[in-house]
Amino acid sequence: MNRKLNLWPARLDLLQSLSGLALVVFVWCHMFFESSILLGKDAMLWVTKMFEGEHFFGEPYPLLVSAIAGIIFLLVALHAILALRKFPSSYRQYHRFHLHMNGLHHSDTTLWYLQVITGFLLFFLASTHLYTVLVQPDNIGPYASSDRIWSGRFWIMYALLLLSAHLHAGAGAYRLAMKWGPASLTGSKAARHKLKTAMWCIIGFFLILGAASLATYMKLGYDHRDHIGERYMPSSHQVQQE
Amino acid sequence: MQIIYTDVLVIGGGLAGQRAAIGAKRRGHDTIVLSLVPAKRSHSAAAQGGMQASLANCLGGAGDNEDIHFQDTVRGSDWGADQEVVRMFTHAAPKAIRELAAWGVPWSRVERGDHEITVDGEKQTISENEAAHGLITGRNFGGTQKWRACYVSDGTGHAMLYTMSNRAIAEGIPVHERMEAVALIHDEGRCSGAIVRNLMTGEILAYVAKATCIATGGFGRIYRASTNAIINEGMGAAIALETGRATLSNMEAVQFHPTGIFPSGILVTEGCRGDGGLLLDANGHRFMPDYEPKKKELASRDVVSRRMEQHIAAGQGVKSRFGEHLWLDIRLLGREHIDRNLREVKEICQYFLGIDPAKELIPVRPAQHYSMGGVRTNPNGESQGLRGLFAVGEAACWDIHGFNRLGGNSVAETVVAGMIVGESIADFCDSADGSINVSTALVEKFARKQTQQLANFTLASGTENAFDLTRQMQETMTSKVGIFRHGDQLQEAVNTLQNLLLRSRNINLRSATRGPNPELVAAYRLPRMLKLAQCVALGALQRTESRGAHYRDDYPQRNDLEWMQRTLAVWSEAKDELPTLSYEPLSIMRMELPPGWRGYGAKDYIEHPESALRRQEIDRIIATMPDADRHAHQAALMPFLDKLPPHLRPLNQRLSKF
Amino acid sequence: MNNIPLAEEHRMLQIQILRHNPSALLCDSDKGSHLQTFEVEEALGMTLFIALNEIREEQDPSLQFDFVCRAGICGSCGMIINGRPGLACRTLTKDLPDVIVLAPLPGFELIGDLSVNTGKWMRGMSEHLETWVHNQELEEINIDVIEERMEPRLAEQIYELERCIECGCCIAACGTTQMREEFVGAAGLNQIARFRLDPRDKRSDADYYELIGNDAGVFGCMTLLGCEDMCPKNLPLATQIAFLRRRMAMTTG
Ligand SMILES: Cc1cc2nc3c(=O)[nH]c(=O)nc-3n(C[C@H](O)[C@H](O)[C@H](O)COP(=O)(O)OP(=O)(O)OC[C@H]3O[C@@H](n4cnc5c(N)ncnc54)[C@H](O)[C@@H]3O)c2cc1C
Ligand code: HEM
Ligand code: SF4
Ligand code: SF4
Ligand code: FES
Repeated sequence: MNRKLNLWPARLDLLQSLSGLALVVFVWCHMFFESSILLGKDAMLWVTKMFEGEHFFGEPYPLLVSAIAGIIFLLVALHAILALRKFPSSYRQYHRFHLHMNGLHHSDTTLWYLQVITGFLLFFLASTHLYTVLVQPDNIGPYASSDRIWSGRFWIMYALLLLSAHLHAGAGAYRLAMKWGPASLTGSKAARHKLKTAMWCIIGFFLILGAASLATYMKLGYDHRDHIGERYMPSSHQVQQE
Repeated sequence: MQIIYTDVLVIGGGLAGQRAAIGAKRRGHDTIVLSLVPAKRSHSAAAQGGMQASLANCLGGAGDNEDIHFQDTVRGSDWGADQEVVRMFTHAAPKAIRELAAWGVPWSRVERGDHEITVDGEKQTISENEAAHGLITGRNFGGTQKWRACYVSDGTGHAMLYTMSNRAIAEGIPVHERMEAVALIHDEGRCSGAIVRNLMTGEILAYVAKATCIATGGFGRIYRASTNAIINEGMGAAIALETGRATLSNMEAVQFHPTGIFPSGILVTEGCRGDGGLLLDANGHRFMPDYEPKKKELASRDVVSRRMEQHIAAGQGVKSRFGEHLWLDIRLLGREHIDRNLREVKEICQYFLGIDPAKELIPVRPAQHYSMGGVRTNPNGESQGLRGLFAVGEAACWDIHGFNRLGGNSVAETVVAGMIVGESIADFCDSADGSINVSTALVEKFARKQTQQLANFTLASGTENAFDLTRQMQETMTSKVGIFRHGDQLQEAVNTLQNLLLRSRNINLRSATRGPNPELVAAYRLPRMLKLAQCVALGALQRTESRGAHYRDDYPQRNDLEWMQRTLAVWSEAKDELPTLSYEPLSIMRMELPPGWRGYGAKDYIEHPESALRRQEIDRIIATMPDADRHAHQAALMPFLDKLPPHLRPLNQRLSKF
Repeated sequence: MNNIPLAEEHRMLQIQILRHNPSALLCDSDKGSHLQTFEVEEALGMTLFIALNEIREEQDPSLQFDFVCRAGICGSCGMIINGRPGLACRTLTKDLPDVIVLAPLPGFELIGDLSVNTGKWMRGMSEHLETWVHNQELEEINIDVIEERMEPRLAEQIYELERCIECGCCIAACGTTQMREEFVGAAGLNQIARFRLDPRDKRSDADYYELIGNDAGVFGCMTLLGCEDMCPKNLPLATQIAFLRRRMAMTTG
C-alpha cells in the first residue's frame, strides 16, 4: 500500500513529551546542584566551577554556562510552543473546561489545569531566570547569587519559580508515565495510586530542598548585603591569605 | 408532511430487525431501520445467558446435533411449536453463530485440559479435548440435553447486538433513531409502510415501503413486574393488530421468571437457588418445602414461580411501599462462594439494592420474562393476514417456542429468523407482488388519523390520567393474568381491561407540549397496550387447559384432545372492545415428534388419539429404512429443507459425526 | 429474622434538575434553562430511575430523561449526578446527599432536560472510525464449516474491550472532549483498540493511524484520566490509550 501518512502529529506529540522529559530531568538535577549551598559555600563554588569547565580545562569558561542556558532556553521554547497547542484556545474552551473541572472534582483533571497555569507562569519565570544566566554567566557563585537573591530581590521570583517548576515537573512526570504506558501497563488502580503518591513525595522533597537552599541564599545575601559585588574566595584561599 | 420512500422498512433495531435488514440490503434493496432508541440500546443487549446452536464442540455438547436441539425445543414448547419451523431454526442456528463469529462476536472458546465444574453442589473435574481447543464453547441451560448455549462471558446479547449493529453500519443501513411507528399504512390487505412519530420533535411523518417488517421485540411492559426493558411495550404487535387484518397468535403464552429483584424486576440468575439459596417469607420461614417437599426451591421455573405467588396470595409476603415480595437468602453460601461464583448477583445487589448479599436478604418476586406470542407469520416470516407485512424476533410468532421457550433459544431465533426473513423480504420485493401502487391520498389519510388522535389527547377535556391507567393495567395483568390463572380472575381481568380501554379514550394531559412529551407518549401507547393485554387475557380465559407457561389451576392438565391449537387474534374494527379469537389446529399427523411427556414436569396430560397413531407411523417409516442416516430419516418424516433459502440448506460440519 | 426491616423511616430528597427543552422554543413558551427542584420521599432501594419516574408520574409529566434497560446494561441513562457523570439507573439515592443535582451529559446534542443524543454521537464515531471487522474474505465466508479457532484468552481480552455500552460518561468526563468537539474520546479510542486486538480484522497500524493518528485522535488525548475514573464499566481506558499512543507513534506508514 502506497499511502502518505501525515506523521507530524505523532512526531509533535513525541517531541512534546521528550522535551518535557528532558526538562524534568534537568530541573531535578539542577536542584541538586543548586542545593549544594546547603553543604557550604565551597561546595557551591565547586559546582559552579565545574559548569564553567574549570575542573576539566584548568581555567573557567563562563560561556559554557551560557551555552547550557541557551540549550535549555531552546528546549523550554520548543516545549512551550508544543504544549501551547493544548491550551484552551478560546474563551469558550476555557470556560467549558472550567465548568467541567469545577463540577467534576477529579484530581487528575485539576492536576492538568495546574500544569497549564504553572506552565503559563513558567513561560515568564523560566525565561527571566534563563535570560539572567545567559547574559551574566560569570555572575554565579555563593556571593554573586546570594546578592542577586537578597539585595536584587530575586527571591520573590525564585520562590514562585520553584513552586511552579516543581508542581509542573512532578505532575508532568506522572502524566508522562500514564500517557505512554509504563505505569498504565498493568492497568491497576493500585499502581496508579502508588505513582501518584510518589509524585507528591518527589514534589514535596524538591520543594523542601529548594526552599532550604533559597533560605540559605537569602541568609547569605542578607549577611553580605554591605559587600555587594564582592566575589567569594574559596576557603582554602582564605586560609592561605591569612 | 414528509414522506420517505424506501424498498424495505424494518421497524425495530434489535438483533432480529438488524439481521433482516442486512439480508435485504445485501440483496440490493434500500433498507431503513426505525428504532425507539439507538439500535445498540435495544433490549437484545440484555441477554446474558447464551444462544443455542448445536455446534457440539465442548465436552458437554459432544454428540449434539440438530435432531437433539429440535427435540429439546419441541418438548420445551409443550408441543405448541410449529415443528417445521423448529427444524428450519435448528438447522440454521449453527450457521448463524458461525456467521456472527466471522463478523466479530468474541464467543467464549473451548480451552483444552482440565476444568472444575459444580454439579448438584459437588465439585467435578472434566477435561476438554485438544481437538476442540479454540472452537466456540457452550454452557448448560435448563431444558436441554446438551451444553449448547454459546455465550460471550456474561454479555452474550451485548456482544451480538454490537457486532450486528456495526455490521449494519458497515453495510450503510440507516437507522432512524427515536422514531416510533404508530400505524401501518395498508389498503386492501396490502401493507405499504408506516406512519411514524419523531420522538424528539413530535413530528409525524410517513415511510412508504414495498415491504414492512416488524421486529419490535416483546411486550413485557403490559405487566407490572417484568425483567424486560421499559421500552418493551409491544407497539409493533399492537399496530399490526390495529390493521384489523394481521393476526397475532398465542398471546396468552407468557413466560415468567421466579427471581426478578423487587421492585425493579431485574433478573438474578437461577444459580442462586441451584447453589443452595433459599426462599423465605415475611416471617423468615422457608416455605418451599411446604409446597414441594421433594424438589423444594429447585423445582422448575414455572412451578417455583407459581408457589411464590401462591404464598404471597396467602398473605405471607413481605410488605413494602412498592408492594409485596419474598426474600431470597444466599447468606448461607458464604462470602467466598458468592464472590467467586455469583459475582453478577453480588454486583446487582450492590448497584440496585445497595445490599451485601453475603449479609443481607434479597427481595425477589416472579416477573414476566418473555412473550412467546406475537405477529403470526408463515415460515417465511410473512404475516398471514396482510401482504407485504413481515415480522421477526420476539415480536413475531414464527413459532418455534410454542407455549414455553427454552433459555438461549430466543436470541438464536432473532438471528436465524433474521437471516431467513431477510431473504424472503428480498424475494418478495423482487417478485411481481413486490411493487406497490400507493397514492399520497392514502398515506395522508393514515397520517391524518394519527394527527387527529394525538390532537384529541391535547384538546380533550378528559378526566383520566395516562400513568394511572397504565399502572392499573399492569397491576391487573400481574395479579390476574400472571403465573397462576383461574377462570374467575381471568374474567375479572377481561372486564377490567375492557373498562380501562373505554377510560383510555378519555385521557386528560397535564402537559400540552407537542414535542417530546412523555405523557402524550404514555397516552397514545396505552390503548394499544390494552389491546395486547386483552388478547393475552381473553386468550388465557378461553384456553381451558394448562400448557407450558400457561397454567390454569382450574384446568391443570395439558389437553391435547381439545387444545392442539394455536390461538389467533384479530381486532376487526377499531370500535371493538374485544379481539376476535379463532384457532388454527396443529396437525399431529404431520409432526416429526408427536405429543408426549416432556421428560420433566407433570406427567398427566390428556392424550390425543392421533399421537399414538403418528408414533406408530413413524416407527414404521423408520423401520423401512434400515441403512439410512439421520438426515434421511428426518427427511422421510417431515421434509423442511426446501423452505430454507438455498444458501442455508447445506449440512453443518462438526468435529465428529455422531 | 431480626434483620428484616419492617417499619421504614425516610428522608425527603431534594432533586434539582437542570431543565431545558430546545424544541419547545418553537412552539410553547420556553423558560430557557433553569434549575427546578422536586421533593421525593426516599424509599428502600430507591434508584434515580425510580425517583425520576415518580417525579414524572406524580409531579411533572413533561420531564424528559432516557431509560431503557434500567439495569445498567444499555447505556441510555448517563447523566451528571452531583457533578459527575454516571448511570442513573444504577445509582442508589441512599449513596447521595439530601440534595441531588442532575444535569444532562455535556458534549452531546441536548434533546430536552436530561435526555441527550448520545446515539447520534456514537453512530458518527462508529462511521468515522469504521468500527467493524474489515476483511476482504468476509463476503465469501463459508458458514457450513467449522468456525476459525481463536485462543480462549484472546476471546476474553477482546470481550473486555467490547464491554463498552456507549453511555457517553467518558466523553462527559473528559476535559479534552469538552474543549474540542472533534476529539473521538476514550470510547472511540477503545473501539480502535478492540478491533486492533481482533485477528479477524485485517487492518494494519497504518490504517489505524489514518483514523486516529492526529489531534482529533490519540494524540489529542491529554491524559486527564477522567474517562478511566468514570467509566461505569471500568474499562481499562488509560492502558488502551497509552498502548495505542505507543503503537501510533511507532507507525511509519
Ligand atoms: C433480562 C433478559 C435476559 C435474557 N436473556 C436471554 C438469553 O440469555 N438467551 C436468549 O436467547 N434470550 C434471552 N432473552 C430474550 C431475548 O433477549 C429477546 O427475546 C430478544 O433479544 C429479542 O430481540 P428482538 O430483536 O426481537 O427485539 P429487541 O431487541 O427487543 O428490539 C426491539 C427493537 O424494536 C424497536 N421498537 C419497538 N417498538 C417500536 C416502534 N413502535 N417503532 C420503532 N421501533 C420500535 C426498539 O427500539 C428496538 O430497537 C432475555 C430477555 C431478558 C429480558
Ligand atoms: C515555558 C514554560 C512551559 C510551558 C508554557 C509549559 C506548558 C506545558 C503544558 C501546557 C503542558 C501540558 C501539555 C499536555 O497536557 O499535553 C506541559 C506538559 C509538560 N511539561 Fe511543561 N511547560 C513549560 C515548562 C516546562 C518545564 C521547565 C518542564 C520541566 C520541568 C516541563 C515539563 C513538562 C512535562 C514533563 C510535561 C508532560 C509532557 C506531556 O504531556 O507530553 N515543562 N507543559
Ligand atoms: S468507555 Fe465506558 S464510559 Fe465510555 S462510553 Fe464506553 S462504557 Fe461508557
Ligand atoms: S485520558 Fe483524559 S483526555 Fe484522554 S480520553 Fe481520557 S479523559 Fe479524555
Ligand atoms: S437504563 Fe440502561 S444503563 Fe441505565
